[in-house]
Order: sequence, then structure tokens, then C-alpha cells
Amino acid sequence: MEKTLLLISADPQDQAFAAEVAVQTGQSLRVIADPKAAMAVIAEGSATTIFADVSTARLYTTLESAIQETVGLFSDRINANTIHFLSTPDLQECTYLKDSPIFGNFVLKNYGDPVEAGAHYSRIVRASLSDRAFGLKTLLSADGKIQPIQLQVSSQKQEAVEAVKKYLIAAKVHSRMANVVANAVDELIMNAIYAAPADDLGKPLLNATARNTLIKLEGRNAIEASVGFDGKYVAFSAADKYGSLDKAKLIQHLSKVYTEEEYKLKTNVAGAGLGLATLFRWGGSFLFSTEAGNRTEVTFFLKRFASYKDFKKQFRFVSTQYYL
Amino acid sequence: MINVTKEQKGEVLVVRLSGSIEESVNFDQLIGPPPPDLHVNCKEVSRINSAGVKAWIKYFQAAAAKGTKLRFLECSTAIVEQINLISNFVVTGEVESIYVPFSCTSCKAELIALFKTVDLKANGLTAPELKCTKCSGNAVFDDIEEEYFGFLSR
Repeated sequence: MEKTLLLISADPQDQAFAAEVAVQTGQSLRVIADPKAAMAVIAEGSATTIFADVSTARLYTTLESAIQETVGLFSDRINANTIHFLSTPDLQECTYLKDSPIFGNFVLKNYGDPVEAGAHYSRIVRASLSDRAFGLKTLLSADGKIQPIQLQVSSQKQEAVEAVKKYLIAAKVHSRMANVVANAVDELIMNAIYAAPADDLGKPLLNATARNTLIKLEGRNAIEASVGFDGKYVAFSAADKYGSLDKAKLIQHLSKVYTEEEYKLKTNVAGAGLGLATLFRWGGSFLFSTEAGNRTEVTFFLKRFASYKDFKKQFRFVSTQYYL
Repeated sequence: MINVTKEQKGEVLVVRLSGSIEESVNFDQLIGPPPPDLHVNCKEVSRINSAGVKAWIKYFQAAAAKGTKLRFLECSTAIVEQINLISNFVVTGEVESIYVPFSCTSCKAELIALFKTVDLKANGLTAPELKCTKCSGNAVFDDIEEEYFGFLSR
């Protein structure tokens, strides 16, 4: 059966974006503005990828209701990994998405050039259509250099952070962008070491452990990290062997805004709960890939710009890929 | 790793922070019991991670609760970003001055310039153009004004 990218949107910018993704990923594009009418394509099972404009609560609830009334939210025709929400407001403003049972991918529609954004995003779509979306190679161009980062104990994190920062500054990456990547390295490694370990029921094992406690990174506590740079994009990934990332909590963390409510100190947990939200506010994109009980890989990547202002305005997205 | 130097100026304890603030930071040890007047110079703070933010808020919240008057000076771009992201980052303290990022339109050099917050407010929260210190070209503000100066209009 032909692979189809189904776009549910009346926005011409979305159409240009989706058209490029379809070309790059070998899918045919079908554009249907009305969610109810689009359900026929989903019901017949030919929609391998779904892009939907959810810029308003009404657009989202219409989509969710249409799915609910036709194939059902938990149908085998619906795979959140291949559903991509396109939105003009940023994630923290889309409160109606926080509890969405079909949340898979979120694209902030600051496309700039929608064709260029589509070419970039096609890497994520290609990864979402693969068996497992792991590895930096799929996200950088073929000539990108990927450098593994070896850590034996948790105290080596800061050395890794500083090494990545120096590497990027030597590659003439803007110093504030290098700082953002350094913070990503810091937060993602810290999460892999302290937040990922969980028992078989998913209960966190190191929740109350201070983040400067020495942990040997061996056996199931071993982590894999690597940094990649292809001249245009910088990417960093950290992976753990627990596969314990909870999608609902993740979306809550990413959506959290501390400009409207105060940050409250929690004494019963050692983590700050700030890392991912802060990174997402700064700019840059995320790919979270989790194979339940086995592996979580978090990749942070961003496009390099000469100016920090342009960097902050860049096209970005969050992708979550869950495998049972 | 953060380093702290302390200088008592009359009634005021001035502390200068330099380096990155992360999980190993212990402000109780580095600064000591909060004095009645504490000025924190953040010029050399290059980076702060989430564990560092938590430690920061914990220390300065406790200080404010004990009646310490807090003033933050020469805040680096890394600190300004946190002030903008977290509404209670400076607790009850006053932000006296901040570094503002610029980019040269000619040689693309990254520059920073120090401004008093009172002057930025008087200027309508816009940064003036500067001359590049490296090539004398025009240097323009290199961030988004509504975001970088956002805390000044809260």
C-alpha cells in the first residue's frame, strides 16, 4: 500500500512544509482541511504519517472527537509516534495538549522557510517511521562528525560538559549557543544518571539522591552519550538502560512555565524539575525515544546561527517515540 | 565549579561569583550566614544548571526570610536568562545592573555591555546601538528585547 502523509490543515504554510516532508520521506501527500473528512483516510489505514494543525483548542478538540467517533483513540490505526501536532502557539500555551492521549510530536510553526524546515523535519519523520528511532546518525547529514562521550562515574559529568563547550567554541559556534548545548549535556546526563533508574514497577530509585552523589556508571546504570556536529546542526544525545521515561510527566515538565508561577522548592526530591523546561524555552528541539523497560535516548539538537537572536527564533519541535 | 570572593564594604558584604553553578555548590559554606546587606556580583557566572538554580533559590530565599537585603549586580547573560525564566529567581532582591549582548554587524564579534536597569527602563527597554570594540562597526542588540528585558516589566 502507498505510504501517505495526511495533512489536516487549511494553512498554506503547513502545506508547503508537509509537501517537502512527503518528498523527503517518500510519502504521497493528501491534504484535507476538515478533520471529520480526514478520518476516512485514517480508517482505511493508508495514513502512515498524520500532520494536524492544532493551533487552537477548537482545532484540537475537533480532531480528537473525530478520531474518537470514527476509528477510536486507541485503535491500531492511531499511533502517536506518527502523529505530528502543528501549532502556532508554543507548547506551554497549548494547555489543551497536556493530557492528549494522542500526543506524539509537537511542531512549533515558526517555519521561516517552510521548505527548509520540512527538509530538516523529514529526518524526524523518517526516524518515526523506522523500527526504532535511536541514534544521532539519522538526525545529522552524512558528513556529520559524531563523538562518543565515555563516563565511568557521575562526577565526570562536568568534565564532559566543559569538553563539549570547548569543542563547540573551537568550531566557532556562538558562545551563548555553546552554553545552551553545555546545559543540555549537563541536564540530559544528569537525568540519565539520577532520574532514569527505576524498579520493575517504574518507581524511581534515585529520586531522593543528591545530584552530587557519586554513582558508578556500570551495568544497568551505564549511560551512552555522544555529541554530533555537521556544520549546520549540533546534536547531543544521552541514553540510559531503563526505558522508564513517562510521557505524561515529560509533557508536563516541558510545558511548565515559571514566569507565571513561582518555582517551589521540593525537599522530598533531589532533582529540580527545571532542566528540560529551561532547555526547551531557550530554543532547540528534542527527540525522546523510549523502549519501555529497556532504553531511553534523549536527543537535543539545534541549528547553528551567527546571531543568538536568530537562534532563539529558529524552527523547533519535540518528538516522542514510544515502543512497548 | 563556582568560586566566591568576599569583600566587606562597611555594612555591606559584596560577593563575587565566578564559574558555573551546579550540583556541587554549597552557598552556605561559600558565602556563610546571610548578612543584613548582601550584594552579589554575577559578572563571571558563565552557566547555571537546574541543580544550581535549586541551590541558589534555596540559599537566597532563606536569606530573604531572615531579613537580608539582596542586590544583584553585573548579572551575566546566563543569570539574566534565569531571572527571565523563573519569576522568583532573585527572590525579593533588586537587580541593579545587567550585561546586555551585542553582535557586530561588520565583523560578527560577540560583545557585551553593562547597563543599569534603571537606565534601561528609562530608555523604554531598548538597547542602544554601540560601536564594536574590535572593528568600530555597528554593534546591535543580539537577543529578543521582550524576552531579555522581560523581567524589567514584570
